[in-house]
Amino acid sequence: MATMLNTGLRSEQNVEVHKFYSGSALVVSFLALVLQAFFHKYGRIGDLVDVPLLVVIYFSVSRRNPATGLLLGAAIGIFQDALSHDNPIGLYGIAKTLVGYLASTVGARLDTEHPVARFILTFLFFHFHQVVLAIMERVLLNEHIPLFTLRLLIDSLVSAGVAVVLFALLDRLRRPS
Amino acid sequence: MIDALSRHRSLALLASVVLAQVLLLAYQIRKADSNVRLVRYWSVEASMPAARGGTWFFSRLGGFWSGYIDLHNARKENDDLRSQLGQLELRNRELEAQAAEAKRLEILLNFHSAHPEAQMLAAQVISASADPASDTIFINRGEQDRVRRNMGVITPDGIVGKVVEVFSTSSQVMLMTDRDMGVGAMFADTRTHGVVKGTGDPQPIMDYIVDDEKVAAGQTIVTSGEDRIFPKGLLVGTVAAAKEGNPFQKIQVRPAARLDRLEDVIVLVTQQELAPGKNGDGFGVSPAPPPPAPPAEATSSSTTLPAPGVTTPARSIASQPAQQGAPVH
Repeated sequence: MATMLNTGLRSEQNVEVHKFYSGSALVVSFLALVLQAFFHKYGRIGDLVDVPLLVVIYFSVSRRNPATGLLLGAAIGIFQDALSHDNPIGLYGIAKTLVGYLASTVGARLDTEHPVARFILTFLFFHFHQVVLAIMERVLLNEHIPLFTLRLLIDSLVSAGVAVVLFALLDRLRRPS
Repeated sequence: MIDALSRHRSLALLASVVLAQVLLLAYQIRKADSNVRLVRYWSVEASMPAARGGTWFFSRLGGFWSGYIDLHNARKENDDLRSQLGQLELRNRELEAQAAEAKRLEILLNFHSAHPEAQMLAAQVISASADPASDTIFINRGEQDRVRRNMGVITPDGIVGKVVEVFSTSSQVMLMTDRDMGVGAMFADTRTHGVVKGTGDPQPIMDYIVDDEKVAAGQTIVTSGEDRIFPKGLLVGTVAAAKEGNPFQKIQVRPAARLDRLEDVIVLVTQQELAPGKNGDGFGVSPAPPPPAPPAEATSSSTTLPAPGVTTPARSIASQPAQQGAPVH
C-alpha cells in the first residue's frame, strides 16, 4: 500500500491528462443514469452502487480539470435528482459537484491509475458524497440522516470494488496518446 | 479581484455552481414550520439586518442633519419666537387687566342695578396724593360730570371718603383714614351713634362712644346719615378692637372698603338712603331690630349723642346746610 502510494505520488507536471473519444463522457453519463434507474427497481441491490457517482469520479480523475469535473458532477447530479421522485433538484447536484471538483483536483496531483488507488479514492469519495448529502438534508430538509452506518460502509466497499472493474472498462474509451 | 478570480477560476466556478444549486434547492424547499420557501426566508433573514442597519443609519443621519447641520435658521427663528413670546405676554397682561377691569365694572354695575333709586357715578382712581400725611386720591370725574364737593365716594364693599376738591375733569377725594376726615356712623345692631375719625393710620377710630356701651370686636358700623354726605346705612367697617378711655372708648375700626387697593369707585350724586342690596353688598343695611331695653343710664348714652357740651362732628355736619362746602372735621 505504501509502495503503491509512493509510486503514485507524482508532481502535477508529470501527471498525464487522458483524452476520450468525443461524446463518450456524455453517453456514459447517460447510460449510468439509466442503469441507476434500472437498478433502483431492484431495491436494496440497486442501492448498493451509485453508478453516476462512479462515472463522475472516473472522468474527473481522468481529465484532471476541476472545471470539467465540477460541471460534469453538477450535470449528472441534477439529472439524478430529476429522475428521482421526491428529491429536490440540486441535492445530488451539489454533492456530485463537490465530488467532481475534488476528484479532478486529486487526479491532478496523484496517479490514480492503479486499481488500489482507484479503490481507495472511490471508497473515500463515496463517504464524502454521503456526508455532503447528509449535511444538505439536515440543513435544508431538516431530516436527520446518519453520517456513517454499517450499511453505508458495505455500500462504499461494494461501490469501490465495482469502481475498480468499471474504471478498467472505461479506460478503453481513452484515445491513445 | 479579477486577477484573483482568474487565478482561482475553478474555485470561483465551483462556488457559482454550488450557489446556483443551493438557490435552486431553496426555491423548491419550503420551511417546515411556516410553509415559506427557503429562498424567501433566507432573503428576508439576510436583508433584515441590512434594512435595520440602514434604517438606524439614516435615522441617525437625519437626526444629525436636523439637530446639528440644518440649524442655520434656528437663531433667527429663536429671535422671532422670543419676540412673539414677548408680544404675547404683553397681550396676555393687557387681557388680564381688561378682565380684571371688566370684573370690577361688573361689580359696580351690579351694585348700581341693586340700587336703582340712587344716582351714582362710576369713576376710576387715577392717582393718589403726593403728600404722605394726606390720605387722598384723585378720580377721573370732575365738574363736567356734575361732581360737587362733599359728595360721598363708595365702593360696593363700603364707604371710601368724600370729594374735597373738584376740577374740570377730575376730583380729589379724601379717604376716611385721613386725619381730617369724619363720618357720622353708628353700630348696625345697637344703633349707637358716634363719629368715625381718620387718624392717618390704616384704621380709623370711632369716637364719642361712652365706656358704658358694650362694644365687641367684629361689630358692624354703618353710616348714620348725620354728616349729610353719606346716606344712612352704608357700611363703614367693623370693630377691630375696643378699650375703655376717658371719657369715651377707644374703638379701632377696620374699614370695609379696601382703601389700599382702590381702582373703581362710585360717586354718590344724591344722599338718598340706599335700599338693602340685592347682591349681598354691605349697603343699605336694614335697621336692626330694637335692642333689648338697656338700663336707663345706658339708654341715654347710646342714643346717638354724646354727653352735653360735647360737639361731635356728626352733630356739626348735621347742623350744616346741605349745600355746604367745608370739609367735615
